[in-house]
Amino acid sequence: MTSSRPMAAALPLPVVWVGLVIALLAAMLMSLTLGFKLYGLDQVWQALFAFDGSETAVVISNLRLPRAVLAPLVGAGLAIAGVIVQTLSRNRIASPDTLGLNAGASLAVVVASTALGVSSLLGLSMAAAFGALLTSFLVFAIAAGAGGLSPIRIVLIGVTIAGLGHSIVEIVLTTNEAQLQQLLFWLSGSFVDRPMTLAQTGGPIILIGAALALLLHRALDALQADDSTATSLGVPLALVRGGSFVSVALLTGAAVSMAGPVTFVGLVVPHAARRLVGLRHARQIPAAALLGAIYATLADVAARFLIYPVEAPVGAITAVVGGIVLLVLLKRRAA
Amino acid sequence: MTGLSTNLAPARAPLALALMALAFVLLALSGVAFGSTWIPIDQVTRVILGAGEKTQNLIVLQLRLPRVVIAALAGGGMAAAGFLLQKITRNSLASPGVLGVIDGAALGVVIFLALLSDESNALVTSIAYQPVAATLGALAAISLVFILSGRQASSAIRLLLFGIAIAAVAKAVTIVMMLIGPIYRTSQAARWIAGAVNEINWSEIQVTALAMLPLLLLSLLAARKLPPADLDEVSARGVGLDLPIFRVLIFALAAALTAVSVAFVGGVGFIGLMAPHLARLLVGRNVYAGLLGSFLLGAIMLVGADLIVRVAFAPIEVPAGTVTAVIGAPYFLFLLMGRQRHDG
Repeated sequence: MTSSRPMAAALPLPVVWVGLVIALLAAMLMSLTLGFKLYGLDQVWQALFAFDGSETAVVISNLRLPRAVLAPLVGAGLAIAGVIVQTLSRNRIASPDTLGLNAGASLAVVVASTALGVSSLLGLSMAAAFGALLTSFLVFAIAAGAGGLSPIRIVLIGVTIAGLGHSIVEIVLTTNEAQLQQLLFWLSGSFVDRPMTLAQTGGPIILIGAALALLLHRALDALQADDSTATSLGVPLALVRGGSFVSVALLTGAAVSMAGPVTFVGLVVPHAARRLVGLRHARQIPAAALLGAIYATLADVAARFLIYPVEAPVGAITAVVGGIVLLVLLKRRAA
Repeated sequence: MTGLSTNLAPARAPLALALMALAFVLLALSGVAFGSTWIPIDQVTRVILGAGEKTQNLIVLQLRLPRVVIAALAGGGMAAAGFLLQKITRNSLASPGVLGVIDGAALGVVIFLALLSDESNALVTSIAYQPVAATLGALAAISLVFILSGRQASSAIRLLLFGIAIAAVAKAVTIVMMLIGPIYRTSQAARWIAGAVNEINWSEIQVTALAMLPLLLLSLLAARKLPPADLDEVSARGVGLDLPIFRVLIFALAAALTAVSVAFVGGVGFIGLMAPHLARLLVGRNVYAGLLGSFLLGAIMLVGADLIVRVAFAPIEVPAGTVTAVIGAPYFLFLLMGRQRHDG
């Protein structure tokens, strides 16, 4: 760990916060206006605040608006989960995806909906959170059994578990004769055709997870050094770890139940957040949330144009970016 | 490398190979016999020898046999590739899957299909070029893994992570490329995501077999020189081997073998990891026996996986690659747990 804020001299904190909020609003506006058809600001305004039932208004409020709301929520949730996981495992290449949590959550959702008949959004979100929690236990237990919690080893185990989860998802979905569209959704994530009601269930869960993370910010700061330092500072290790994992499970579970596994957001964003605001979690967590929201929203907009007029799964875009970032991190021996 | 393999006397290798061959023949025959209508095994052999009745001829020769043959070729090819990779990297965790080779090959094929199809979804060129495209993709992927990892390639686990990152990127691009194409290619998508051996025809098998044969012969020739590669670079140069060039050759060979295997079948994971391992346990350290045993075991595994999906999920076609992954992933974790050496 180097200095606490590499870019501190360049950007005063208030400027960073205001800039991030403006960028997020701009990204959401892009998400509303840009797509298969382009809409003007006046049309968006009319659809949102003076709904007249015209075709344009219906498209904007039923198709565009859910995406403009869900993408930031999912991005923020995954990014905060990424920050916590990276701090807890002291592992700069850890994230909900590289630990297999995304895959575990989507497996839980697919199994809950096909085998157990769960259909309420709350039920599915809880199943996803449970799946993420179970996967994190599994990964850390295997890693401990595999002779040490070295960052690389944990990630290798997590990625393998993720592959296993994907395969089972695929078996369950093909035996239920799911369409390819559905398969791609659960294998790579997307914001297309999601109902707004998802945000009403997922949003509060993300907020609870984020609040729990913020509550633990001092303890997480102390954990960045090593266990004995943290203990000597009076941090109850087991309690903090447990609370953090619950927070990660809620955040990942809600994100996955809203959009499927949107990959590598939680890997990429915390690095950017640390560069921008430094290592203290009181700043790192909100910055990651904002950056994650911006990133997911922009990726969603890009997904509409990448292979226009067809939509690409947003998870494919974040996977390409994330894969390249992972290569750079490995190259720099960040892990 | 696991210590277990060294305990076996080389004299047991021929016996083990013979048993594997026998198991393969039995499994292949039951693979042909099993289906929506059961055809007794003695009638299967009669059809294959050219003396069956008309309907059975049709079912066996046009529907079931192609499936078993391509599964045997693809499974064997991937296993042989895995054997070469594990030998040359001295890394028992290496395999075409984790080094990005399979996803690279799949990307090559999908790009080939996207670029060279006309409006009516017909290929404008010969299907024989599909393995070539797969090979180019596979070579590109494995080269990237080694160029990017540089000196870190000597750490087994770090090398794998580079491979996994490349594989993730290739897989994502493959999904996007599939969506660009017309419906025909999208409906084939399951094959590229997970690997399936249904809907194979004889011309595809012919192309696969013709491409694979010379590669396997080359592998056997190169195998003669493999044991010295177990030495470090300095000692290898001492006995007159130019190691870097030899390594590149073996990597290219393994990439091509994998690519030809998956060109029509799609990515089937973990066979290239498991088969060489079990082969070493069963036949010992002799390289010829190891290569042959890997091929046989790989063939057994994919034919077996296909049989499992047909028995367990009929009449739905679940990709065989999902079964190899469900068995292979825990196996990989088990291997990982066995490694106490710290090379993270």
